Amino acid sequence: MATEKVQVVVVGGGATGTGILRDLAMRGISALLVEQGDLAHGTSSRFHGLLHSGGRYAVKDQEAAKECLEENMILRRIASDCVEPTGGLFAALPEDDPAYAEKWVKACAESGIKTEELNVKELLKKYPVLSPRITKAYSTPDAAVDGFRLLWSNVNSARRYGAKMVTYHKLSAVSRANGAITGVELTNTLNGEITSVECQMVINAAGAWAGEVATMAGLEIHMIKDKGTLLAFNHRLTNQVVNRLRPPGDADIFVPHGTITLLGTTSIAVEDPNCTKPSEIEVENMLNIGRETMPNIDNYRIIRAFAGVRPLYQANKGAGGRAVTRNFALIDHEQKDGLKGLVSIVGGKFTTYRLMAEKTVDLAAKKLGNNTPCRTAEEPLTQPVTSEMLERGKKVFGVPGYKKAAERLGDAYGKVVEKAEQDPSMRRMFCECELVSASEIDYVAKDGDSKTLSDIRRKTRMGMGTCQGIFCSYRTLGALGNNPQFTVGHREFITEFLQNRWRGIRPVLWGQQLRETQLSTGIFCSLFGMERMNDE
Amino acid sequence: MTQKHDKHLILDNCIKCSICVANCPVVKVTDKYAGPKQNGPDLERFRLDEPRAVHPSIEYCSNCKTCDVVCPSGVNVSAMNCKAKGEYVALHGAPIRDQVLGRVELICKAAQIAPWLVNWAANVKPFRAIGEATVGVAADMPFPRFASRTFLQQYKPKKINNPKGKVLYYPGCYVNYYTPQVGLALAEVFAHNGIEMVVDSFNCCGLPTVSNGLTEVAKGYARNNVAKLNSYIEKGYKIITTCPSCNLTLRQEYHELFDMDTERINNETFDAFEYLLMLHEAGKLDTRLKALPQRFGYHQPCHLRSVGFGIPSLEILRLIPQLEVHNLEAGCCGLSGSYGFKKEKYPISKEIGQNVVQSIQEAGVTQNITECGMCQLQINHLSGLPIHHPIQLLAEAYGLPSYLPK
Amino acid sequence: MNKKTDVLVIGAGLSGMMAAARAAQSGKKVTLLTKGMGTLSLTSGCIDLWGYEVDNPKQPCGNPFTQIQKVVEQNPGHPYAKVYDVLKESLTFFQDICDKDGLTYRDNGGENWLLPTAVGTLRPTYLAPASMAVKDLNKVKQIVVAGFDELKDFYPEVLVTNLKKSKLLRPDCELTVAHLKSGWKKLYATSLAHRLEQPEGQQEAIRQLKPLIKPGAIVLFPPALGERRDIDVAGLISKGLGCSVYEVTNLPPALPGQRLQDLFLKYLKNQGVTVILSSTVTGAQVAGNRCSHVTAEGAGKTFTISAQTYILATGSFVGGGFDSKPGQIEETIFGLPINTGDGKWASGEFLSLKGHPFNRFGIDVNNRLQPVDGQSKVILENVLVTGANLSGSEFSIEKCGNGVALASGFKAGKLAGEVSR
Repeated sequence: MATEKVQVVVVGGGATGTGILRDLAMRGISALLVEQGDLAHGTSSRFHGLLHSGGRYAVKDQEAAKECLEENMILRRIASDCVEPTGGLFAALPEDDPAYAEKWVKACAESGIKTEELNVKELLKKYPVLSPRITKAYSTPDAAVDGFRLLWSNVNSARRYGAKMVTYHKLSAVSRANGAITGVELTNTLNGEITSVECQMVINAAGAWAGEVATMAGLEIHMIKDKGTLLAFNHRLTNQVVNRLRPPGDADIFVPHGTITLLGTTSIAVEDPNCTKPSEIEVENMLNIGRETMPNIDNYRIIRAFAGVRPLYQANKGAGGRAVTRNFALIDHEQKDGLKGLVSIVGGKFTTYRLMAEKTVDLAAKKLGNNTPCRTAEEPLTQPVTSEMLERGKKVFGVPGYKKAAERLGDAYGKVVEKAEQDPSMRRMFCECELVSASEIDYVAKDGDSKTLSDIRRKTRMGMGTCQGIFCSYRTLGALGNNPQFTVGHREFITEFLQNRWRGIRPVLWGQQLRETQLSTGIFCSLFGMERMNDE
Repeated sequence: MTQKHDKHLILDNCIKCSICVANCPVVKVTDKYAGPKQNGPDLERFRLDEPRAVHPSIEYCSNCKTCDVVCPSGVNVSAMNCKAKGEYVALHGAPIRDQVLGRVELICKAAQIAPWLVNWAANVKPFRAIGEATVGVAADMPFPRFASRTFLQQYKPKKINNPKGKVLYYPGCYVNYYTPQVGLALAEVFAHNGIEMVVDSFNCCGLPTVSNGLTEVAKGYARNNVAKLNSYIEKGYKIITTCPSCNLTLRQEYHELFDMDTERINNETFDAFEYLLMLHEAGKLDTRLKALPQRFGYHQPCHLRSVGFGIPSLEILRLIPQLEVHNLEAGCCGLSGSYGFKKEKYPISKEIGQNVVQSIQEAGVTQNITECGMCQLQINHLSGLPIHHPIQLLAEAYGLPSYLPK
Repeated sequence: MNKKTDVLVIGAGLSGMMAAARAAQSGKKVTLLTKGMGTLSLTSGCIDLWGYEVDNPKQPCGNPFTQIQKVVEQNPGHPYAKVYDVLKESLTFFQDICDKDGLTYRDNGGENWLLPTAVGTLRPTYLAPASMAVKDLNKVKQIVVAGFDELKDFYPEVLVTNLKKSKLLRPDCELTVAHLKSGWKKLYATSLAHRLEQPEGQQEAIRQLKPLIKPGAIVLFPPALGERRDIDVAGLISKGLGCSVYEVTNLPPALPGQRLQDLFLKYLKNQGVTVILSSTVTGAQVAGNRCSHVTAEGAGKTFTISAQTYILATGSFVGGGFDSKPGQIEETIFGLPINTGDGKWASGEFLSLKGHPFNRFGIDVNNRLQPVDGQSKVILENVLVTGANLSGSEFSIEKCGNGVALASGFKAGKLAGEVSR
């Protein structure tokens, strides 16, 4: 059994956890982040990727709206390669209460959110996909944010400051002595190995799993687990975020994201935080509502559905769904339960993850006697890729592949370009839908954190486009022939990957996606016979 | 119906099966082109956000439209590629050579000052060598020869009593300037069948300009042509073409590329043989044809294949006794208009065309027919054999004045 | 405009082309109309009849006919039950056409072949083009797998890693990975095929491979040994290396299926079949239980075609014969009912022996391939249904796609040929 020693163990590799890790590291506190799956495998990759302007909350909760706006502006600054400054619009339909629109304009103004009324006729000309029934529309500073990328940027930045991070490790025990945390025990979920870590403090940032972590420490946290399902369309339906101008509800946000558009979300209370299977009913309900804003929505291809579980904090039992606050709660268990060294951060929104991390680390630092101020809002997460490097990338990856790779890879771009310069076979575009080169896949596969094809997929977007990985999964496996981690168990690796894709495709299995799936069965079963393939 | 489709929906139809890549004649012979799927539907998803997301290899697309023909999903791959090429040229500019080669209409008009001089100069080896070295026009690709008088100068409309139909003939640049005999043969055939044929001066259809990425120039041509064609359609004329590329452009490309409403033009425009076949199906075509005991190879131009009404010329020529037409069935000839005239593309063009040459040799034919002027030029260049438009054979079989070279 | 023909075949996949070929043989005027190239070029190019034992679906079967007979007895809804009578005849017809054009298809003496794929599995199939028919795999002493560094769709390591596990090989069989360089910046299957048709391309491959070859070796290539049927690339390289050379099955684009597609289209045109490409049939005019004409659209202009017999060979979902919306599947031309079994569309496990119900979806027919309703009543008597349009088979698991296409296409063509004018 291996042993390690750090000041703080952060549990949960989501936005908050990685934000905390970076903040701790930047303040000089030694820390280890533990994630049970791949980074962002929970809610931080299972949301609509909207960087709120605050508009959505302006009427109900001006404090939250202001927080959103402020954090929105900070992220545009410190994580420009993770944010797509699309801008947003709020559109009202005849059935939406006009009084709400008035209230909303006023509330936005009070919260400092810049809005501008748009000419509906021009808007419809620009985006014929929108409903001609739209009566009023306003622009807002909403944006799209890439969850995967932002999390990895946080971790990479934290690692530069000496922090550690392990994925595929589950918290299996919490040790306490004399009313204080003394350490944790971690289990490697891939091989069962156990590591024990000595620490002074555990920060529970496990999101939907926060209740489970608290239980392990013998405490209780009341959480509402609220499942939200999303749909990914095959292309950008609009180039701006589209919100409905009415009190927040289901399926009223469309977010253009790189090559796709996400429509979200539903809100259903669930028991199990692992319950991320989208149901066909949810898909149907969402389309019914989405159709109000985009009447031809049924004709557009949906490549998959997916779901995430929002961890909503419930200080006292009772309220549920959208009535529960989207705000966060910082729980000092020393104060609340008399257990020293445990802090939980629960609830909140992706947009304000940095602020949540800051507040959490403020508390943690105070307890640890560290009074270094927070600098996470000032220092950019990554250095922008130089224009010289972009030019070199263009030569090996072509247009627009070089740019997309630079956005995804950030600081690692140079290494990936160099590799492709040296070895022409590394220039081949493996994923033609999302333009991911062999060089990028090779780099990510060797980064030490990638264990499965799905891990590579999350970091590179390989297999996340139109064909959902039919061609590139095979290519990726092939190109990893010399990588010891991927040389055995081809059936298992492909199955893991395809099954993960299948979970999302199955609820939207009609039209072009059914054709694509039939092609996929043709390739993997009829041509390759993989249904009967054996790894032994 | 096609004209009402939302173009983004067609983008969604691509299931990445790669049939277009497998059939692309350019991909087969060079590694310089990324492929129709890769440049087309793959990058189109990126272009919704960034219209200039165009891979430089787009200039190697020959616009043969094989990708459209073979796609089982109805994706308009070639239109995506043409538009992308336009964006690329708008961003990076086109070499002077492409700007000239694309403006076929201007070249032809200029050459009219002294066609004989141009013909002479165009085939003087040292001049061509200089042309290749300076502007990159392939020295080995022969230019077509200008006719001494254009079709429009030569054509005299005949008075037809009680015509069975009235048509406006759109000869296109190639027939007008290089092979007026095709238009004259058509005029004879129509007159013989009691069809009134009028002509007018039009702009170039614009296909060469589109293929060279000069989208704005093409758009201007399109506007003029559409207005003029519509005025004839309103007067009850059907529009007839003998050039498959002009046909395709008038009927489909203006809509696909410039979002123009050409539904009416599409419905009223016919390939000459499509029109004759229609007459025949209605029992109105004179089928008293004299025997032509000869053997021809037939090459189907890519753009004829792409309009999707089969090969009407073969159905009509079948009516000619003792005429044997062997369908060469060898795919693209490789020239693709100005494509094969470019220094860096000439070898590609030639290599693509080898299949046609080989098919000609296998069939053992010594003369060929095809509808497209550019295909005629290429096949003659590669095989050294004579080649004609099928209408010339039909005129011959009717016993009309011969427009076949003696 | 209205076009008249005796037999209208809609679709240019294997079943449509077989139907057209067989109907033309009966002296009918045949028109074949298609939107794009059929899905034949996406298949292996081999003719799979049946892959595994009905009673033991993990066990590759020897003689496929014995298994098909069992299928026909046990499952009258399987398309083989409608076309078993012509199965052998259709295979001969098919082999003859291919033979004449220099593309030899080999059987394995009545038993299935077990042929390597690009992922190193062995796939059971009945007829294979000579370039794929690996003889006596169990006797070879060395298998050299030739990959090209510039080709992104073929990885010798993957093939070798998995083929090594096969119990069919001699225990001492040596598997060798070869990485060839083509000199091109990038390769697709077709450009590699084109390169290998040139003598320089062959020489280059031979030069790089030769030092690796030991006595008793065979060489496996990606399915790109030439496009043209008049150049025997496999034979030429084999001669240069002094050992047998084969192509393995791989994902599209691949040449074996494409060669077959080209061969048939050319054959049909030479038989006088009118082939209309790039045209879509959008609807049908029906009077009583007969179709009187269909409407087709090319480049946005519509025309009609009337025929005595209409052969529906538009394929399933991939081919575009069926369209689907949530909870709803439609045959796009005649609106024929689709048998969706118990209404479940898909299985929970993506890769499983059960396959997926959607692959079984299709049109129910009688023994004359006429579409029937739930009460076995003929819906349209002059419409015949073939290939992937038929209900009841799971091509991807049963390994019967091209077999069903071949036999049903042949039968439809034969029946259409018997209709009197």
